[in-house]
Amino acid sequence: MTEPQTRAPRAAVPSLPARARDVLTFEWTKLRSVRSTHWSLLIAAIFAIGYSAVAAVVYTTTPRPTGAAAATVNPLLVSFAGLLYAVLAVGVLGVLSFSSEYATGLIRTTFAAVPRRLAVLAAKAAVTGTVALTAGELLSFASFFLAQAILSGHRLGISLSRPGVPGAVLAAGFLLFVCAMVGLGLGTIIRHTAGAVAALFGLIYLPAILYISLPPPWNARIGRFTLTISGTQVIALHPHNGLFSPAVSMLVIITWTAATLLAAALLITRRDA
Amino acid sequence: MIEVEQLSKRFGPVTAVDGLSFTVRSGHVTGFLGPNGAGKTTTMRVILGLDAPTSGTALVGGRRYQQIIRPLHEVGSLLDATALHGGRTAWFHLLSIAQSNGIGRRRVTQVLQLTGLDAVARRRIKGFSLGMKQRLGIAAALLGDPPVLMFDEPVNGLDAEGVQAIRQLFKSLAAEGRTVFVSSHLMSEMAQTADHLIVIGRGRLLADTPTGRFTESSARADVLLRSPRAGEFARLLAAHGAAVRAEGDGGLAVTGMDAPAIADLAARHGIAVHELVPRPASLEQAYLDLTGDSTDYRAGKPAREGTPGQ
Repeated sequence: MTEPQTRAPRAAVPSLPARARDVLTFEWTKLRSVRSTHWSLLIAAIFAIGYSAVAAVVYTTTPRPTGAAAATVNPLLVSFAGLLYAVLAVGVLGVLSFSSEYATGLIRTTFAAVPRRLAVLAAKAAVTGTVALTAGELLSFASFFLAQAILSGHRLGISLSRPGVPGAVLAAGFLLFVCAMVGLGLGTIIRHTAGAVAALFGLIYLPAILYISLPPPWNARIGRFTLTISGTQVIALHPHNGLFSPAVSMLVIITWTAATLLAAALLITRRDA
Repeated sequence: MIEVEQLSKRFGPVTAVDGLSFTVRSGHVTGFLGPNGAGKTTTMRVILGLDAPTSGTALVGGRRYQQIIRPLHEVGSLLDATALHGGRTAWFHLLSIAQSNGIGRRRVTQVLQLTGLDAVARRRIKGFSLGMKQRLGIAAALLGDPPVLMFDEPVNGLDAEGVQAIRQLFKSLAAEGRTVFVSSHLMSEMAQTADHLIVIGRGRLLADTPTGRFTESSARADVLLRSPRAGEFARLLAAHGAAVRAEGDGGLAVTGMDAPAIADLAARHGIAVHELVPRPASLEQAYLDLTGDSTDYRAGKPAREGTPGQ
């Protein structure tokens, strides 16, 4: 097709790093300029630190098991009591990343600005993921130190230098990142905030209910393939024998995350915006 | 320049766009007209790469939209002015879009001033009126200073002053040599803004013509005739192939023959004519004629009245 008009001189094609910076700053500016981001993180912080502190205080006042049962006591778990709820707040942050754009229609502005949809998904994952991982590790270590400070006053604390402890604290922070990524994937797939949050709730809490209600050993045999039970395994001081090892459990967690994001990537490129 | 070629888009059993072809040229405001549900928005979405066409192509500046890197420098668009995150300020909304295409902060300030939003830039969009949201959308479309601009129903819900301002803006953008493609379901709106019209109905092209010649495609243009020998002249006109319809007040509405031919015929037969008035159909009427028939869209013979001058 001939085009008689003179077109405006086109700028030189920007380099790949420049284009990556474009879409990353795009998503970063969007993320930091809405209140829901700040609320999600604040709620995550209150849950993680506040609830862990309360759990630690309660722990100091309850009678300790004796004999054989004493060996399985995990004073570390007290530190993570609040993180189980903080994951939801961060998960919702991930969900909103895409679902709020679908809800408002802003998604069309986004895709008109950056037609390469996988780049948008990747940038959202990178930006939300960085925030979630940073928040996760900060909160995990903060709740650990706070809870252990309370416990150590009663000679119940556990030191960070004890084998297995640093890994468990790091893994606990990582779980917040995982939830943000699964949330992002679900928000992309389902496109409705409420639906995606409900799915996230189900994915996180149903395995726990299943684990409690199924008779052993079936609860462990099935549970070890779920996100939640694998999550408890990677932050445990004494890994459960009926489940996968912490390393394999971590692999299960990563597989869930990757699968959700992969499904999101497949759908986002095929569906009309 | 926007080139749409044999474009079709089906949503399940519904055909939204059906073999649509047209070209939108630079330096003009081109109106994209059609009743609600005619397929205007779908066509625009396909042009922007938001919806994938079932068949056919839509090119902007010779390329598919998805192939354009930093597309906001090539195409500025506003599909839905209310598609905004209410919790974000106007400044951050525009800044984020600017950053996505490597556009600097200075340009953000510029478009805010250009659309008169600089005073409210730091306010959350939630509190904006529809008119302010429209201006924000236009500001976003102008960010990349693009040669092609596309607006879907941009004056919907605007007050008279806002409509006037937007018309002026479109005309000045076209005068700068840009391609301005504006959809509407109201002819009255386009009549005053667009110098070229693309009319669709049920996803098919009905007309692609300069606005000034649009009424020619309508059968409604006629000639009003008054004569003391009306009855006799009517038979004579009919014998010469014209269609004559009596109007209530004794006048005759003649179609199929223009005023000079009628006057010549009257002179040849010595019939006095007291009034002879060519009555062009109004744009509005022509539009209604074209789109009003729900079963026959005359898709087989769209009124291609040539292309606008280069």
